[in-house]
Amino acid sequence: MRSLTLSPVLASLANVFKIPVSQTILRPALPLLNQTTISKPLTPGRQETRATFSTSSPLLKQKGRTYVDKRITLIRYFLHHPLTPRPLRFSRGRYLRHWTIHRAWQLYQANRRRAKQLELQRQWQAMNAACEELRTGAGDGGKLFRKSMIKTRVFRDMFPIEYGRLQTEGPGEGWNHDWKRPQPKR
Amino acid sequence: MAASEPSRTLARSLPRVFAPSTRAQGFCCRRYASDQASTRSSSALGDLESDGSLKATAERQDAAKSFDPIARARSRRVQLPRSRYQFRSPKYDRGPLHPHRPPPPSDPSSRLFVPGPFSLPRVEQTYESTVASDILTLCYVHNPPGFKPPPKAPRLRSWDGDSPYHKNRALRGPRGGDVLRLLRKPITFNNIPKLERITIHSYVKQAATENSSWLHVAGIALQAISNVRVQTYKSRSSVAPWGIAPGRDTVAAKAELHGEDMEHFFGKLVDVVLPRLKDWPGVKGTSGDSSGNITFGLSQEQVALFPEIEVNYDMYPPKMIPGCHITIHTTAKTDKDARLLLSAMGIPFYGKIVD
Repeated sequence: MRSLTLSPVLASLANVFKIPVSQTILRPALPLLNQTTISKPLTPGRQETRATFSTSSPLLKQKGRTYVDKRITLIRYFLHHPLTPRPLRFSRGRYLRHWTIHRAWQLYQANRRRAKQLELQRQWQAMNAACEELRTGAGDGGKLFRKSMIKTRVFRDMFPIEYGRLQTEGPGEGWNHDWKRPQPKR
Repeated sequence: MAASEPSRTLARSLPRVFAPSTRAQGFCCRRYASDQASTRSSSALGDLESDGSLKATAERQDAAKSFDPIARARSRRVQLPRSRYQFRSPKYDRGPLHPHRPPPPSDPSSRLFVPGPFSLPRVEQTYESTVASDILTLCYVHNPPGFKPPPKAPRLRSWDGDSPYHKNRALRGPRGGDVLRLLRKPITFNNIPKLERITIHSYVKQAATENSSWLHVAGIALQAISNVRVQTYKSRSSVAPWGIAPGRDTVAAKAELHGEDMEHFFGKLVDVVLPRLKDWPGVKGTSGDSSGNITFGLSQEQVALFPEIEVNYDMYPPKMIPGCHITIHTTAKTDKDARLLLSAMGIPFYGKIVD
């Protein structure tokens, strides 16, 4: 019996998606409830099942009955299903392997972070040196430097929207190279 | 003599085949600089001893004979756990004095262990490669060497002692309200603003007025777009026309995204959802809590544009797909820095910019 070796998680999933795996259903409660409540109303007066030739749900025709959408039932089922992954249990060798990889990854990340930080620091220091040179050595009494330090529009205009675009491998085929930014009306 | 002549020429010509020649072998017309090096090194390789690793066999065998794993294991002061030993982390951390404490979250046996990261999101790559250094450049303010900023007045003012009751009184708050705003330091290479976390919050009033299915659908929609388990919250305020009482009705679902989840969500938002919004001018320029967190809202139809909901649209009751508020928390201390960061990452702003 292959169906007996199916894990309960898989069995319940198969159950929900109506995949016939075996005759013995491991978690029959909810899907069977679905079938009975959605497609066939549980009416004590009418026990016999009649074939309905209407495409609308029979429950809609009855008054005073709450109709629960089947999608909501499914959403509730999956929202509350305890389908949490099992905790990882490693034996010694695997644990040591995990530990080694984890340490190596942390080391790599730290090196990367440090390299980035140093690069930013280098850029900042280069800007600092350039501005100092502009202030003292440009020969215009620092006028250019003072102009360059005006930042009134930085926080008002911010980045242009053409800049704000996540990096991709390259512009796709639909890229319009002749596009120019429309000039604002004066 | 005539018979020995071909053999002599053969003996002379045979080793020439194997001898390294300065010309390239074969019919290749192109010569590479590495060709000569390789032919030269092949002759140099002959000087190397080929049995280098086999020389020390005797010492190795001695080491192998003297190695006794059982004695070595017994001589350990603290025994290693058995291979099949399964450690169960305690549920609660009861403090440093408790003998049994949970392992660090990086340990796979920890209850907080999250495997990953499994990807390098595009948002992170863009930020690291361009956005960070561009913000650094835009916000650079030059101070000459030796410059010291003038000391500022203390943020909490002291009471002038004209009344005897001022003695030992707590300090006054700043002018214009009692809110002590965050201090903004000039942006240098070590405090460039970046994304910290994203909160998706959805207030579903029908969860109180009608039934719980609204909240369930909202929760699973948020889970679908955020890849994070949602939390539900009860109302803290009373809304009389909707019949909502504080502390009674569960009306909201919230998902908090960090790290990889956050970056993937932000990428989807910027690349897929926001460009498809009809007549969307952007985020309002007055949005923000003046400490670097920007909030904007998406309506029901806009939430339905997320690819996870769109591909599976039929599985959600269309009227129950929630709208939501998205708060982007950044490490910036003021809204203008946060807005600068978000505009560099692709979120437009409109209207009057208020800091």
